[in-house]
Amino acid sequence: MSNGTSGALAIPERVGATLLGIAGQAGGIAIMAGQILRRSAPWKVDRYEFIRNMYRMGVKSLPILAATAFFTGAIMVIQAAPLVIRYNARSFVGWSAIYTTFREIGPLLMALMFNGRVGANNTAELGTMAVTEQLDALRALAIDPIAYLVVPRAISIVIILTLLCVIGDFLAIVGAMGMASFMLDVNWMLFLNSSLPRLEVWDFAVGVIKAFLFGIMIALNSCYYGLSTSGGAPGVGRAVNASVVAAASGVFIADYLSTFIMD
Amino acid sequence: MIKVHDIHLSFKKPVLRGVSLEVPHECIYAVIGPGAAGKSVLLKTIAGLLTPDTGQVWIDGEEVTFHDELKLAELRKKIGYLFQNYALFDKSVGDNIAFPLRRLFGNIGEDEIKERVAERLMRMSLPGFEDRNPNSLSGGQKKRIGVARATIMRAPYILYDEPTAGLDPVTSQRICNLIRDEAREQRSTVIVVSSDIQRLLSIADRVGMMLHGQLIFDGTVDEAFASANPYVHQFIRGETEGPL
Repeated sequence: MSNGTSGALAIPERVGATLLGIAGQAGGIAIMAGQILRRSAPWKVDRYEFIRNMYRMGVKSLPILAATAFFTGAIMVIQAAPLVIRYNARSFVGWSAIYTTFREIGPLLMALMFNGRVGANNTAELGTMAVTEQLDALRALAIDPIAYLVVPRAISIVIILTLLCVIGDFLAIVGAMGMASFMLDVNWMLFLNSSLPRLEVWDFAVGVIKAFLFGIMIALNSCYYGLSTSGGAPGVGRAVNASVVAAASGVFIADYLSTFIMD
Repeated sequence: MIKVHDIHLSFKKPVLRGVSLEVPHECIYAVIGPGAAGKSVLLKTIAGLLTPDTGQVWIDGEEVTFHDELKLAELRKKIGYLFQNYALFDKSVGDNIAFPLRRLFGNIGEDEIKERVAERLMRMSLPGFEDRNPNSLSGGQKKRIGVARATIMRAPYILYDEPTAGLDPVTSQRICNLIRDEAREQRSTVIVVSSDIQRLLSIADRVGMMLHGQLIFDGTVDEAFASANPYVHQFIRGETEGPL
């Protein structure tokens, strides 16, 4: 009888524990967001750390994100090609590729790539500092780890992903134009003349706003999981894994909500 | 003076249970005890890196406990800290040692910082190591870099966590002598946590023994050796027979 009761309670117990865990992490991330905001006045941000992070997160991510954007544009054309050929809708191929890339696919894929490269690296770095007592060493030296480590990284991640999205949008157009010319014999004049008049600035802005929101998600999750790492080297691995999954989930939730609001 | 009053701290189970002690000015205080006795946790609590559940810590008459990070930052300028695992940053040796000066004392010029770093390295018998990467150094060298960073601010309070752990006897004795000489020259108040009893007691003025989160002995080194407490007696002599 008692076994049956404990067995019946096991599932709600586990669900409850999982929900409490998620609530605890969400609360922790919210508190950290408040701490970041409190220390984000321009004159409080460590300029050296900010520039260093902008360089290594931005400049070093540019090649891989540029490739992602270029191929995203090209893939949009490849996907549309059978229908374009069947219905002889060559004048729509540019618009469809750019519209979907600007508003959805471009920022989403770039955010996921950025999360895998920069977000994971950020968590691993902060996690390693946590398990080797470097965060405690900063505090012992009267240096606030949030102000010194987290704020420059969080601001850099948000700015870099937004900028990379803008650059990526144009590279995606180049990729789409190249593929349209190669597969469908649509020259770049026809490609642009048939698409640009149908596009609005808002289509471009939606993608940039989304990239900004995705940047916030990646910044908060990667920093939170990095700072709360414990348990030595295996703990760093677990933290990176949790950070990448949580940030990707956050990106999809932000995407869903922002699409719902802005469309 | 460092004063600790009735500190309790738990991480799921109790780690510190009613610890009280006083460390007078210019005293080298050794905290000894077996593993998992709560020694390092006590040291971190004194530095304000951990907040106790109850109890108070005062340094120079200022309460450390229950302040927020920004207030504690001011107090921590008075404290140097050597971590058990060095906790050196991913910077050159020179930048590691100069880090507190550059971050906390904006009025010190770069020339003076370089001079003080060179002096610290000379003192640690590591001259010319400024541009080396800490990852390329041995454990003993990393410890000495840690000591150099902990002492460069000339803070009146220095806390050392296991300064000789994992080092050979000669390097261990050198580091202990360095801790003693630094404390005497700078007239600083020092707490050293270590399991390396013989070497530690050779430089300490007073000694406290921790066991299961409690301070079971507090006295001079001579009193420790004469103690009738069976735990202290066994631990100090390293005997295998006894209550430990």
